[in-house]
Amino acid sequence: MEEKEFALEVPVQPPQEFRSLFLPIPPEFVEEAYRKDEFVILVGPQHPGSGHMRLIVRVKGDVMTEVIPDPGYVHRAIEKLAETKLFIQNIPLVERPAIMDCANMSLGYVRAIEKAMDLEVPPRARFIRTILAELCRIGTHLYDAGILAVFIGHTTGFMWPFGLREYICEALCRITGARVTASFIIPGGIRRDVDEKTLRFVYAVTRTLEEKLKKFERIFVKNPAVIMRLKDVGVLDRKDAIRFGVVGPFLRASGVEYDVRKVEPYEAYDEIDFEIPVGDDGDSYSRFLVRVNEVMESLNIIRRAIKNIPEGPVVSEGIIGKLKDKEKVGKDVRGYFFRLFGRMTVPAGEYTTLTEAARGTLLYTLVSDGKSTVPYRLRVVTPGWAYLRGFMEACKGERLADLQAIYGSFGYFPPEADR
Amino acid sequence: MSEDVRFLHSGILSPIKKWGTKWSLWPVHLVTACCGVELAHAYACGYDAERIGSLNYGICRQTNLIIVEGAITRKMAKVLRITWEQMPNPKFVIVMGACGLKGGLFWNSYHMVKPSDVVPVDFFVPGCPPTPEALIRAIVQLQEKIVTGEAKNSVEFKEVDLGKLLGVAEEVKPKKPPKSPKKVEAKPEIVIDKARDVEWKLGKKLVEEFEKILTAESITITDVNRICVRVKRKNLISVVSKLAKKFDHVKSVNVIDVPHENKFIVEFWLGCYSNKELMPVLVNVATEVPRDDPKVPSIAGIFPSADYMEREMHELFGVWFEGNPWMGRNFLLDPDTPKYPLRKDFKLEEDRFVVEG
Repeated sequence: MEEKEFALEVPVQPPQEFRSLFLPIPPEFVEEAYRKDEFVILVGPQHPGSGHMRLIVRVKGDVMTEVIPDPGYVHRAIEKLAETKLFIQNIPLVERPAIMDCANMSLGYVRAIEKAMDLEVPPRARFIRTILAELCRIGTHLYDAGILAVFIGHTTGFMWPFGLREYICEALCRITGARVTASFIIPGGIRRDVDEKTLRFVYAVTRTLEEKLKKFERIFVKNPAVIMRLKDVGVLDRKDAIRFGVVGPFLRASGVEYDVRKVEPYEAYDEIDFEIPVGDDGDSYSRFLVRVNEVMESLNIIRRAIKNIPEGPVVSEGIIGKLKDKEKVGKDVRGYFFRLFGRMTVPAGEYTTLTEAARGTLLYTLVSDGKSTVPYRLRVVTPGWAYLRGFMEACKGERLADLQAIYGSFGYFPPEADR
Repeated sequence: MSEDVRFLHSGILSPIKKWGTKWSLWPVHLVTACCGVELAHAYACGYDAERIGSLNYGICRQTNLIIVEGAITRKMAKVLRITWEQMPNPKFVIVMGACGLKGGLFWNSYHMVKPSDVVPVDFFVPGCPPTPEALIRAIVQLQEKIVTGEAKNSVEFKEVDLGKLLGVAEEVKPKKPPKSPKKVEAKPEIVIDKARDVEWKLGKKLVEEFEKILTAESITITDVNRICVRVKRKNLISVVSKLAKKFDHVKSVNVIDVPHENKFIVEFWLGCYSNKELMPVLVNVATEVPRDDPKVPSIAGIFPSADYMEREMHELFGVWFEGNPWMGRNFLLDPDTPKYPLRKDFKLEEDRFVVEG
């Protein structure tokens, strides 16, 4: 038999949608993929996750060979707007990228101002800030667990964390007055003192959450279906995690013991004894487990903070200055806000703070010129933006059906990443 | 409209159709911004919007309601329109949050549009973010609109004559608007490496070490755990590649625009994960480039973690990172957005204080 070779003319023109959907990739990328008998698939922007982004996935068969992100669907120009608002007006603004994590988001910004002005925060305020930050951390981890459940199609797994989040919202509501956007942390302390009754309630909430989380563990965390979906999927080993600058629990899941709370302690974290959970598999399940353990550890931190909370004022002397009713303002700044903060200026220089937000390291760089009442430049690097590259690398070599599991396991929240 | 469709809409059976629509308002999953947190609560077990026949659903072709959750950016506006076009009739839109109403906190942002310019809106839910109860009230209000055909506010406020109530004289003195506390210095001096005298042994050791190996203009300790290394543009790559032996990732890439001195200050913040001692240390490698020739060598080849941040800075400031393959293309921003919005000469609309009456 004589062997003959046949070649089929396959159209390699990129489809029309390529132009109308404003894909940021060059057309040659699509042509080259088609020539190699690979496909380019668009995932999103309208997809069943939380927040929106487009993933441009190149698949060979059903294995992803390359994933290109197309972020920016929730880019609201926080860095630019910060230059047009007063220092104090920026606190609600910097919370908006991740409102479920409000305390951590504003904490980093406020600490940059405090660093510049050399403000000493009263110990009671530091403890209450720690409690708030940990409450928000638990809330965010529960939120991400719920979204992960939506991604892998587990409705009960969505209902449980969001039911439990109601406790967190209630606790935040009683402390600050708002369910999610607290704006409670101000330069030099917090807005007002928290009474004994509220702290008792928060303590009771931690006990209830612990009980309920055990049930949640049985339903979702140790569910064989969940383990099958997440185990050994989207592995990011230690070397890659470091190289691509992954942050937070996702870095710790790959075996790097880095937590800003331990490395560069702020607030009351050096006075409270706690451990940081570290995984070593670097797969989706490990990323999820690290956060489940972190919730448990956060509950411990809150309880220890409530037990050891010192008495005293909650607003710094450096802010109150020579006001007449010092005692009253030291406990509650309501009514004095404009007088104390309206014309606030920050000494010239550049100040950078690191904060361990729920999803990872949060970096603020505040540049002030010393005379204006607005920042000259505010650089915000949110955890989502920092680990986006690692997230893309974790997808490579996996099957397309696992993309959702990896997306969910990273808890990627576009409003936070795009700012 | 065909005869059958008209019969469905206004014929004898139309109440049944309306009744069916009323109890099956399924919003498509379009979490456009942070209000999604409260939407999720509204549909979770705490508030359970499912009991009034509303259920979040993933695919737009089988849904009849869009709940726009807060901010719509220029990029998202196209998606919102495409999603809306794909949905079958009858379809409704509820806009949640202050951002969707008039821009809210982001009213003067360069990347925002109003949802009412993109799609016809039935109900607005004000708040930042609105509570789940408020959202559920909007859905109930929409159900009423489907049956009665007219949209009503869920709350009507009575108008109270404050003058009568408080016994104030009718004639009010004209008020002057308060003076804005905002003060912006026109040509400030920007210092990024103000030295600070701190007790930090490791820092002093590191600075000594850096002074030996790096060709830098100045090396300063700006705070505990913060070192600023100023370099010339041509030495940037050699300095960074020497630092790469100790530091393994980039935490941030930052650009500061100083138009009155005709320069950009480009900063690379390096951090370390692999060495426990160096973990808290951040080294800022800063270089200055003229504004009319803003070219900096890219360090994405040495540190892959800098790649996306370089793209972002290129887009926002127009700094060209030589060697990064993405230069000249959009990453975060929509193609319609004004070019280089974070430069100081791109001005946003300022807020004004107006006293009425």
